[in-house]
Amino acid sequence: MKAYRILAVTERVLRQLWHDRRVLVLMLLLPAVAMLLFGYSFSGDITDVRVAFIDEDNTDLTESILESLQEDDAFEVTVLDSVDDPERLLLESGYQAVIRIPDKFTSLYYAHFAMGVATSAQGTIDLTLDESDPQIATTIKMGLADAAMDLGEGGPVEIDTRELYGVEVRFIDSFAPAIMGLVVALISTVLTLLSIVREKVDGTFSRIWVSPTRRAEFILGYVIAFGLIALVQSLVVLTIGKLVFDIVINGSIAWAFACVILFAVGSVGLGTLLSALAQTESQAIVFFPLVILPSVLLSGMMWPIQAIPRLLRPLSYLVPLTYSNRLLRAVMVKGLAPWQEPLGFAGVLVFVVLTILLASVVLRQSAGERE
Amino acid sequence: MGSQTPTFLAASLTKTFGTLRAVDDLSMSIAPGEIYGLVGPSGAGKTTLIRMLSGLTKPTEGTAHLLGAPMPDGRRTVEHRFGYMPQERAVYRDLTVAENLLFFGRIYGMSRARISERTGELLELMRLQGHGQQRADRLSGGEKQRLSLACTLLHEPDALLLDEPTIGLDPALRREFWDHFHELNRRGRTILLSTHYLQEAEWCGRVGLIQRGRLIVEGTPAELRREAEQRSGRERPDMEEVFLILTGSAVAGGMS
Repeated sequence: MKAYRILAVTERVLRQLWHDRRVLVLMLLLPAVAMLLFGYSFSGDITDVRVAFIDEDNTDLTESILESLQEDDAFEVTVLDSVDDPERLLLESGYQAVIRIPDKFTSLYYAHFAMGVATSAQGTIDLTLDESDPQIATTIKMGLADAAMDLGEGGPVEIDTRELYGVEVRFIDSFAPAIMGLVVALISTVLTLLSIVREKVDGTFSRIWVSPTRRAEFILGYVIAFGLIALVQSLVVLTIGKLVFDIVINGSIAWAFACVILFAVGSVGLGTLLSALAQTESQAIVFFPLVILPSVLLSGMMWPIQAIPRLLRPLSYLVPLTYSNRLLRAVMVKGLAPWQEPLGFAGVLVFVVLTILLASVVLRQSAGERE
Repeated sequence: MGSQTPTFLAASLTKTFGTLRAVDDLSMSIAPGEIYGLVGPSGAGKTTLIRMLSGLTKPTEGTAHLLGAPMPDGRRTVEHRFGYMPQERAVYRDLTVAENLLFFGRIYGMSRARISERTGELLELMRLQGHGQQRADRLSGGEKQRLSLACTLLHEPDALLLDEPTIGLDPALRREFWDHFHELNRRGRTILLSTHYLQEAEWCGRVGLIQRGRLIVEGTPAELRREAEQRSGRERPDMEEVFLILTGSAVAGGMS
């Protein structure tokens, strides 16, 4: 094995990408666009839900419920004097919910505590809810529950939240590591696949295999090229994440880069592997959705794996990005070392070893039926 | 030839793909310093034969030797000493002419300085001066083919395996390629090439006619012509007629 031959392959791959400006732009733009697009559209924070609030009791206690709803960014509260038919109000006015605090709410509330035991005499808030959007409905229920819990000293239960990572982790914080993995996987897999299929179609493969180049040198050359590209793409994601979304990075950036590069190695292996199944560039394109769709849908990137039907969940564990997500989130959000997330780390390692070994078998076949 | 190791040697060489016998029990020996032309219609097995001699394809039966090394197993010992030009033009479309040569030079372990020296020589030889910084996909067909030959010659191999090197070239350019081949041959290079232009058989030192994977007849162009004259009674047949006579006209209909 000779370093100069490995680097010759690396240099060649990078020069090819450099000449293909469209691909070059795509490579750098894809992480940026993905981060911005997903970051904004899936920020996960629901805001400006219109709710009507009718207070028929008018006490300090009910006032504090209103204040706490008004402080919540999720709601845009309109205070009405009275309501006859809450359901009609919902349908006609465009409110998502009507919250009515009935007369004597406060006295019943305190009476309940005074009795000391369960009783039917209990403060009740009327909530009339438009459930056509379940996510908004859930937000309203949770917001109102928070407001009711938050009644201070007299509240029924107090939940003391300790944030494990020091700060509140938002959707975007755990999304950035997933975007890094996704973008690196896509670009490395797809470009390796296309590049190797072109070598076959154009006959340059024959030239390489009659030369002193070994399969390991060839694969390593690709691995280094796409490892470097993965590094640049990760920098783009992190820069936008930090500047635009101010994402939380608790862990070591160096570990994050190391993990991303590891994942890129596996993706190069996967691309090489798939190249065995395609004889032409148009056949290769068939594989793109096969790589993209499971990664986006099943990896726990957009929604947790727990939200995937139980029947499909085993499939999630066949998707490499599932492990990369676990690993990168552990490293970046939780601030762990890679081996402290054994499942993710092992999954990515197995992915790398398996695809690189199989890729080398595939190349042996492409190199002619020598064996 | 005598005791010299043949540059290319095939002994009962056979390659089957499923039921197809692409190369069928073929034996031939090419001595150092020869220009040998494999002539025959498309699908006759010329490419498979060349790929077996280059070590790219493993024979089903029989043996192939290149510069004395059994192929493909012994190819490590000779890979620096031979050059192979595949039938596809086999250059990177999205690299410049100079970058193509740089890459193929680097994988043969040539220094950048030596590559740039050789690049200058080859671009001049192939009349590609001024095209060094041009992308290969912007070259004309003939220019691309000249670049392909340059990539094959870059590391100065002793033995050349050229698969249809003149396919698709206009007659003038074909002549020019042949001038290169003769010049390389004068400088001691051994050349085995395939062609389906019968006219080119005339320019080879020796010719082997291949049909359905078998070597039908071989000899110098003059020997083949004499053989054809004897069989047909025709006087001074041209190469096309020679081929038709020696192979039987019925199957030669597919020839261009």
